Amino acid sequence: MDDELKDLEAELRRLRPAPVTDRLWARLEGELATAAPPPAAPADWRWLWSFVLPAAAAAALMVWQPGRPAPARGTGAVLAGGALRPVAAENLLVRARDEGLVTLDDGTPARRERWTFVDTITWSDPRTNASLTWTVPREEVRVVPVVFQ
Amino acid sequence: MEELPAHDTWQHWFQSHGPKLLLCARQWTRSAADAEDIVQDAFVRFWRHQRHLPGDPMALLVTSIRRAALDRARGEDRRTRREDFSLVGAGEPTAEFVSALEADDRRLALEDALGRLPAEQREVLVLKIWAELTFDQIGGELGLSPNTAASRYRYALAALRRELTPADCHG
Repeated sequence: MDDELKDLEAELRRLRPAPVTDRLWARLEGELATAAPPPAAPADWRWLWSFVLPAAAAAALMVWQPGRPAPARGTGAVLAGGALRPVAAENLLVRARDEGLVTLDDGTPARRERWTFVDTITWSDPRTNASLTWTVPREEVRVVPVVFQ
Repeated sequence: MEELPAHDTWQHWFQSHGPKLLLCARQWTRSAADAEDIVQDAFVRFWRHQRHLPGDPMALLVTSIRRAALDRARGEDRRTRREDFSLVGAGEPTAEFVSALEADDRRLALEDALGRLPAEQREVLVLKIWAELTFDQIGGELGLSPNTAASRYRYALAALRRELTPADCHG
């Protein structure tokens, strides 16, 4: 770039955009005066999971009932008060841990396994193409009786 | 541009960056009122939810503003091409500036020349000079390679130089 263009560039930099209008200041004052508290520093995931896992487990217990199908593709269920329909459900197994043998109350030996999933359910509104994705960790403990021969 | 200082107030930050954001918004909106609406929404969202994100806050806000402006444009008139929303195309005066050291007639000449630039050159110039984005950031924002962004910037400066009469150049 030649010197003349550099001079022009420097001159442009000295031009300052016009200040913000009083109207915009007032609108921002109104909005940010009631602003939510500043977001916390980046979350400590161990801390977060210690809350999320129990909450998710509780939610899963409340939502899941034997004989009641989980939301899945094509169920056609409609969320209350909206036109969102579940269009996809995915259960991703992220960890499976064998916790070894345990003894049930009746003395039966059993093997306890702890499975950790991440469930993702997507709802969509076919009219507007708006979509909502719900992702929550879930922990499942399976106790399988063991028969020794 | 550096990240947002942790204890900066929104007033302090917006005092220095708000005018630049509005100038950017004017590149993609029909009117000053539309630009204000979009900057307001983007800044409130940024300040409430995004200001602790790493990276250049100006680049983040410019992205947010441009997307909102293009969404608004599509909503208003889906048949209108994006170029039609340029300030020149809309027949409105170009973005306003305040004089610093220059004489007012020199500022007016520059503003006038800026207003006659092709929209694709002017937006690159504005993002480079006043939003202080790098060519990499500008390219990412506009869907161009950094080299193309740099070329447009040089073309814009050359066109401005041609637009300004010799008398203006010494004003």
